[in-house]
Amino acid sequence: MATSELMQETAVRTKVVEAIHISKIFSRDTFEVRALDDVSIDFYEGDFVALMGPSGSGKTSLLNMIAAIDRPTHGQMRVLGENIFAFNDQEAAQWRNRVIGYIFQTFNLIPVLTAAENVELPLLLTRLNKQQRREHVETALKLVGLGDRMTHLPKQLSGGQEQRVAIARAIVTDPKILLADEPTGDLDSHSATEVLEILKMLNEDFGKTIVMVTHDPHAASYAHVTRHLEKGMLLRL
Amino acid sequence: MTLTQFVAKQAFRNKRRTGMTIISIGVSLLLLTLMMTVWRAFYIDQGAPEAALRVVTRHRVSLAFFLPGSYRNKIRSVPGVVNVVPMSWFGGQYKDDKPENFFAQFGTDPAEAVKVYGEWNIPPEQQQAWIRDRAGALVGKKLAEKHGWKIGDKIILKGTIFPVDLNLTIRAITDADDAADALYFNYSYVEEAVGWAKGQDGMFAVRVDSADDVPVVSKAIDDMFRNSPTPTKTESEKAFQLGFIAMMGNVKAFILGISMAVVFAILLVSGNTMAMSIRERIREVAVLKTMGFTRRDVLTLFIGEGVAVSLIGGLAGVALANVLVHGVANSPAGGMMRGLSVTPGTLVVALTVAAFVGLVSAFVPAYRASDLGIAEGLRHLG
Repeated sequence: MATSELMQETAVRTKVVEAIHISKIFSRDTFEVRALDDVSIDFYEGDFVALMGPSGSGKTSLLNMIAAIDRPTHGQMRVLGENIFAFNDQEAAQWRNRVIGYIFQTFNLIPVLTAAENVELPLLLTRLNKQQRREHVETALKLVGLGDRMTHLPKQLSGGQEQRVAIARAIVTDPKILLADEPTGDLDSHSATEVLEILKMLNEDFGKTIVMVTHDPHAASYAHVTRHLEKGMLLRL
Repeated sequence: MTLTQFVAKQAFRNKRRTGMTIISIGVSLLLLTLMMTVWRAFYIDQGAPEAALRVVTRHRVSLAFFLPGSYRNKIRSVPGVVNVVPMSWFGGQYKDDKPENFFAQFGTDPAEAVKVYGEWNIPPEQQQAWIRDRAGALVGKKLAEKHGWKIGDKIILKGTIFPVDLNLTIRAITDADDAADALYFNYSYVEEAVGWAKGQDGMFAVRVDSADDVPVVSKAIDDMFRNSPTPTKTESEKAFQLGFIAMMGNVKAFILGISMAVVFAILLVSGNTMAMSIRERIREVAVLKTMGFTRRDVLTLFIGEGVAVSLIGGLAGVALANVLVHGVANSPAGGMMRGLSVTPGTLVVALTVAAFVGLVSAFVPAYRASDLGIAEGLRHLG
């Protein structure tokens, strides 16, 4: 998609993420590290964005800012119209539970819980009753093709299946935004493709806004738009 | 799944470690419960209400010395005194010198003893039979059951302190706890058989008319004999029993010392386990917080885990203590532990200690873990 076309299209769509002059500076001993350096970027409803760049370029830091996991040294961030850096810890946690689904590179499933129980975890913080939670969990796991693996423990699943459980966990609360940090980084190419297909389906069929950090050009090819970061700075399109 | 089930699953994720922790806490709580039970029996329980109305007068220097029998009537004259009865330790051998055949034997005056020890509650016909028969004996129900004695059975007690063998007939049986494993007989039997024992009594059990009078009466009795060649020491029955315990050393300090050491040790064990367990899950904490768990949620989950493990250990320890105490209290070799029981109050205190240990041991590592930033936690390689 050409830049001008993209700009025309985004002009009429709802702005989901609005990062304004975000800087993140880490002080280490006597020197400072600029993880993000005056980054301004907008993501729109229904976007599937790939954030690429070398290690240490600030991709994960930006993702963490969007999830209100981390706070910037300077700058503002509005997500779905809310100034997320104004939240206190508790408000941020509750907001994340409602709005954000986070997918990690290393799956991060709880080893003693079954696939269904892992997926159910975020729902324990909601007002849903047991039956409603069960229905949500079944729906999420079926969506990622693991309806028959509900009672399996993570160690009984392959890497690709574990990541699909992690995706189910991320979408079970029906969040508007999915943030994926190297979701295919620990997977073989076949499993990676399966995971990317699921993300594509979630974006196209369910309208989820997806921001994916990746090193992998194949993974990036699934996104509508790719943005590059280098040394904490966003490269121009 | 509920949050409680989540906590339970997390608590047992490392079954061996959790199992060992539960065993450690269980053994410690077993010891603590035993200590508290003994403490309660020695220093808190007041025994039968009747016991509060009794004082014991003995030789001021030692129980080994006799008191003149003439003291009985002098004590009777003290205002507030209702009854006085001699109690002399016979120390005889039944069958042989095996510990299981050892039991307390006291020479007394049956007619007045039943008034001083109203809680014996002997059937009237048995009471009369015991009073009438100078070679009759009253035995505790447990002792009778242990040796298979029935009313009318004859037993021989071989004298070890007094050079006389007593040929006694069981005339009465009491189910009073205080007399459960003791035998009482008419002391005149010994006085008639052993010349030097005549007019010599081991001690006197004195019944006063009101519990409020106990200190006044005790003082009046001791004052009466203060300047005599045989001074007395009079104290409440409970204090008298504690005097026996004190002979073993500073039991109070011993029990307190062990109890404190036990609590400190389980705090260290439980604290170390919780610290290890939580440190391994720093990354998991970050993941939970990413999903929307708040710092307070995480703190609650970990503390719940610590308290649950501790309480399971505590329950096991307390249950085992209950079984042990019951066993010892009912065994022939129970000795001073006879009649002991783990009271509901002791159970509650022990389980509260267990819960407290779980809470304190989990709090510091849980607080640190919950306080860690999500980004930092996600970078943690645990």
